[in-house]
Amino acid sequence: MTSNYLPALVFMLGGLLIPFLRGKAKSIYMMLIPVVGFINLLGLPAGESMFASFGDFNLVLLSIDRLSLMFGYIFHIIAFITVIYILNFKDNVEFVAGFFYAGAALGTIFAGDLFTFFVFWESLTVGSVMLIWSRKTRAAQEAGLRYLLVHAFGGLVLLAGIVFHYTETGSLAMSQITLGNLSSYLIFFGIGINCAWPLLHPWLTDAYPEATIGGTVFLSAFTTKTAVYALARLYPGTELLIWIGVGMAAFPIFYAVIENDLRRVLAYSLINQVGFMVVGIGVGTELAINGACAHAFNDILFKGLLFMSMGAVMYRTGKINATDLGGLYKSMPWTCLFCIVGAASISAFPLFSGFVSKSMVMSAVAESSHIPGQGILTAVWLVLLFAAAGVFHHAGIKIPFFAFFGHDAGHRVKEAPLNMLIAMGMAAFLCIFIGTFPKFLYNVLPYATDYEPYTISHVLTQTELLFFSALAFALLLLGGIYPAEQRALNIDSDWIYRKGGKAAYAFLANTLNPLNTRSESVVMSVARGTADFFKDAYARIYLFISVNFWLAQDIKGKRLELKKQRLYKQLLEGVFPIGVGAAIAVSFIGLVFALT
Amino acid sequence: MKKDKHEELMELKHDAVPGYRPVFLVVFAASCAYMAYILSTPAF
Repeated sequence: MTSNYLPALVFMLGGLLIPFLRGKAKSIYMMLIPVVGFINLLGLPAGESMFASFGDFNLVLLSIDRLSLMFGYIFHIIAFITVIYILNFKDNVEFVAGFFYAGAALGTIFAGDLFTFFVFWESLTVGSVMLIWSRKTRAAQEAGLRYLLVHAFGGLVLLAGIVFHYTETGSLAMSQITLGNLSSYLIFFGIGINCAWPLLHPWLTDAYPEATIGGTVFLSAFTTKTAVYALARLYPGTELLIWIGVGMAAFPIFYAVIENDLRRVLAYSLINQVGFMVVGIGVGTELAINGACAHAFNDILFKGLLFMSMGAVMYRTGKINATDLGGLYKSMPWTCLFCIVGAASISAFPLFSGFVSKSMVMSAVAESSHIPGQGILTAVWLVLLFAAAGVFHHAGIKIPFFAFFGHDAGHRVKEAPLNMLIAMGMAAFLCIFIGTFPKFLYNVLPYATDYEPYTISHVLTQTELLFFSALAFALLLLGGIYPAEQRALNIDSDWIYRKGGKAAYAFLANTLNPLNTRSESVVMSVARGTADFFKDAYARIYLFISVNFWLAQDIKGKRLELKKQRLYKQLLEGVFPIGVGAAIAVSFIGLVFALT
Repeated sequence: MKKDKHEELMELKHDAVPGYRPVFLVVFAASCAYMAYILSTPAF
């Protein structure tokens, strides 16, 4: 048991005080939260835990091991950098949501049981939706709502899986699950939605580009990476993940090449990079898991850096489409430089961070492909190689080229604000530092490793790949074959949901609505008839008795008709002595009693 | 936010620079041949 604080609460509760502060005090306070959180984390060595009772359950709110610690370190680092990046913004909702979201991510990775994990997992959704809605545009509101629907569905699937898992095993432990029964697949699928697996991914490319400038940086760091963590924790070595990861690494490249919105290009690129991590987890060897985790660590930094540079461009120009940008290297040279560092890192240039982690995953796949019966992994390795070339193509070249070089769109703007430059500079420094001195990263990986990325084979293979990719880009562009950037919406697999949803709506409208109308007419006609009857029922009953009484007195013809009309009118108007009214009421009640 | 006049395009085309289409085709053919050779070697 530890005397330190729950890392999640440092952020979640700390963030709530931000709206009460102003000016420099607010900025300092915001920067202090991740610093205090990091110091708190350093006091939590591997093996520490924290418990809480909930009904009959003994929940493990905190469970520290090397895997969770590594994610904890990078989450604190990126939170600190992002906070510096957004200091010039004024929206308290964005600040609070950002800290809540970061806290939820920390809660998720340090959760020691599935129930605690689920609670923080759902908190992630709340924080991320608030970050999307903070932009306050119609597109952001709609994208946020779609995001909420998808993740609420994913959360329900995950919860169902956890409940079934507990029913079957009697355990909520965050330990390895083997795919086999329904609960294992439900949990797997629930995590897969947050991991943006192929066909489940449109929420990411839909919502991330619609969030606020700082919100997108937050979003790029946490949701998918907590899913990667969850897969590494619960499903290491699950072969199905290799094929899912290969799909993730390959398909976004095509969309990224034709996409006009540069933040959406990065969103596709994010899925592509997570694909490498998922493959590593699927392979499941120590080297592969280390590679997946190291790549998650690096991706948070270089993808954050790329989103920050595009955010700075958007902040200064108000534009983010490739068709509206170009030539900004003159106006924003530092932002351009930092963007190039991010681009070199994601492309895995030697001496940049992506190189030292991506080559771990590639080496793990290559090593496993030599195991008898695992020859198919050679095909996986080739697809990853293609994906690595594709990354350089769309994120390494396209992003800096269309934003800062290419055709001059005529923007003459100021350089990004100082706080943004400092944040980008910190991320860029870490990208180069980790790429140059990878041992610092390797020391925090889940398994001890003596992996050496800078072998002649690795460096030559990667450099050759990058230069051929650059040659391909240059020749495609100069040969007029490179697809034009168009102000258009690209159809993705969300087409299935959108069209499927409309078809389901039309089907239900055409079947249920007529049934509803018909049912309503039947029920209403019966109700109306009954109401009409009971409106003057007592008068009719009393008239019936009176007419028979008058007939017995031999009153007939016109006189009988006049008496009937007069009595009916009196009955409706209620102009009777109380005794007569009471007699009518008693008669009516007696009749009803007799009938029932 | 200071903004100068700038052009907003519906489409950003990449027109071919004369002479580069054949260069592309030659390099592409050579690359395919090179890759075919690599994949066909026993070492792979």
